[in-house]
Amino acid sequence: MAALDSTAPVVRQGRRTHDQARTAWGLTAPAIGLMVLILLVPVAVAALLSFTNYSLGNAGFDWVGTRNYERLFTRSTYEKMFLATFTYVVTVVPISVGLGLGAALLVHALGRIGDIYKTIYFLPVMATLLAMAIAWEFMLHPTIGMVNRTLAMACGSWIDVIPFFAKGCADGFPLWLGDRDYAIWVVCFIGIWQGFGFNMVLYLAGLTSVHRELYHAAEMDGARSAWDRFRLVTWPALGPTTVFVVTITCIRAFQVFDTIEAFWPQGGGPNKSAYVMMFAIFEKGVQQNLIGIGSAITVLFLIFVMALTLIQRWLVERKVHYG
Amino acid sequence: MVGLTVTSVAKTFGETPVLKGVTLDIADGEFVSLVGPSGCGKSTLLRIIAGLETPDAGQIAIGGADVTAIRAADRNLSMVFQSYALYPHLTVGENIAVPLRMRELNTLQRLPVIGGMMPGASACRRDMSQAVQTAADMLEIRALLQRKPGQLSGGQRQRVALARALVRNPAAFLLDEPLSNLDAKLRVQTRTEIAELHRRLNATFIYVTHDQVEAMTMSDRIAVMMSGEILQCAAPDIIYQDPDDLRVAEFIGSPKINILPLERRAAGVQLFGRSLGWAMPQDAPPLMQLGLRPEALRLTTTDPMVSGRVAHVENLGSEIFAQIAVAEEPVRVTLRAAPADRQRLAIGAQVGLDFDRHAALLFDPDGTRLRQIEAHSTRTYEVA
Repeated sequence: MAALDSTAPVVRQGRRTHDQARTAWGLTAPAIGLMVLILLVPVAVAALLSFTNYSLGNAGFDWVGTRNYERLFTRSTYEKMFLATFTYVVTVVPISVGLGLGAALLVHALGRIGDIYKTIYFLPVMATLLAMAIAWEFMLHPTIGMVNRTLAMACGSWIDVIPFFAKGCADGFPLWLGDRDYAIWVVCFIGIWQGFGFNMVLYLAGLTSVHRELYHAAEMDGARSAWDRFRLVTWPALGPTTVFVVTITCIRAFQVFDTIEAFWPQGGGPNKSAYVMMFAIFEKGVQQNLIGIGSAITVLFLIFVMALTLIQRWLVERKVHYG
Repeated sequence: MVGLTVTSVAKTFGETPVLKGVTLDIADGEFVSLVGPSGCGKSTLLRIIAGLETPDAGQIAIGGADVTAIRAADRNLSMVFQSYALYPHLTVGENIAVPLRMRELNTLQRLPVIGGMMPGASACRRDMSQAVQTAADMLEIRALLQRKPGQLSGGQRQRVALARALVRNPAAFLLDEPLSNLDAKLRVQTRTEIAELHRRLNATFIYVTHDQVEAMTMSDRIAVMMSGEILQCAAPDIIYQDPDDLRVAEFIGSPKINILPLERRAAGVQLFGRSLGWAMPQDAPPLMQLGLRPEALRLTTTDPMVSGRVAHVENLGSEIFAQIAVAEEPVRVTLRAAPADRQRLAIGAQVGLDFDRHAALLFDPDGTRLRQIEAHSTRTYEVA
């Protein structure tokens, strides 16, 4: 009898935790279900389709193994795709992060008037890139565009000594969007122009959290120049912000699409020089209904982005949170 | 180590005057505390001395040389901040080395990797690491040198901040409420350590605090500040026993000094309608304030000067503080009594209080000390 009494509470307690666990699972089930259905299943489906030759509307499909991926790494079109994408990412990310940081430091130092600059720099971020691309297309028009006409005004003056102007005045200025040497750089320029305001806002938020007394400590410790203070206080304090800004900018750079679609709806720039991944996915998967190859590019894209995110997590945990 | 002079320094933030012409002389090797309630301008004064704020008027001189126009980094002062202000990304050792790195290495020598290859850098770095070790030993934080500030407790961070301040040999140490973020026990311990450090280094210390106990226990001199002025600057015992101003008397001392109204009647004075038998000069103001420290009062059964009932008793073991509600007056006086008097101080008990004429401080209604009147009345009192 005594033994029974002593074990009874344990059994009851065990049953209670079991009940609690079941209720907990019951309550989280809808969220988990939705997450799986909306987020994980499409990714898994895309991954599966990347091993097939499926086209939308077909009754069935054949497994083609890794043929789609082999194509990605052997055909020259995709070589151009990788080249354009990485050129864009490698150019846009450092410049737009650097400009964002520089603008944030300047705006932060300004005080009240800084708000005006903040708004102006943030304007391109708020505007639709598609609409902005149309405006840029007009400006960059080879003959009637504002850019080339402005450049032509310099002809005949001392600026002519610069080889670019000498050549432009003699043979005409570049076609910009129609020139395979310039096309990707124009896209990069617009990407930077459009994106750095966002980075500036993120950095401004980061700057408000820098402890002001640290600047005073730096001054007392003999940090005389602005560069010393930046190296000793600002830059380390902005570490977490920088990791976030770089990751976000990388992901956004990988996702560039609207400018290319607006400039060259049929084919990704002169000689496919601006044929970036997102556009390739759109062209193959949607326009040409080649779901298999489109999925393969999508999976590759996901891998890049996932790798970036993992690097960010690692950096945040190891390097920049000085807990 | 050199002396430091502050001459009629004034500072206004917007419309609010924070410092109204402060003058202060600090001798070489002296420990001076700036003490006062929050908002009295003591931190602003320290920051002006440091060079982190510019005064609107006045002058700061270090060792006789005017430094008012010289920036903080070039004034050769060290400062410990209330928040410690340690660089979170650097280890304790690197934090302590920062003042040396910034002053003794040039920009090229400070660069990572190639900095070490610059001429003269390695000898410099060796000296620096030696200095860091010495400072760390002095504060017993050698075991922490490899850790980051985030991994330290409040007391340890405090030591690191102190070590960073004393790794060089500055003209003076400025400490801005360095103990206010520590718990009570650690505060008492660190208080002693800072005082010992001062004796050992024999350096000039300027210490800002709102805690009168810190000021009383550590300083050679205390400057009591209130609403942008130094009311009195003197040794702790003078500040306590012989204050110039009622506000100083009220701020220093715990429990607070008793302030009782004193009325002049002809040539004598009355306290709560009872004549004290003190002779008063004719020019004494009709209303005065009598300041009595709790320990100046004593229990008496014969002819008490003040009588009332015990309203509240605080027994601290070694001493007892009793609040006596004065009969027919809305006033309470605090009395310090020996534990032996515990029996007489039951709540509600009727007690009589007496005090020594010499221990009484007289102030006019504005709070200024009436030393001449005190001297006059004491003299006649002794004659009588």
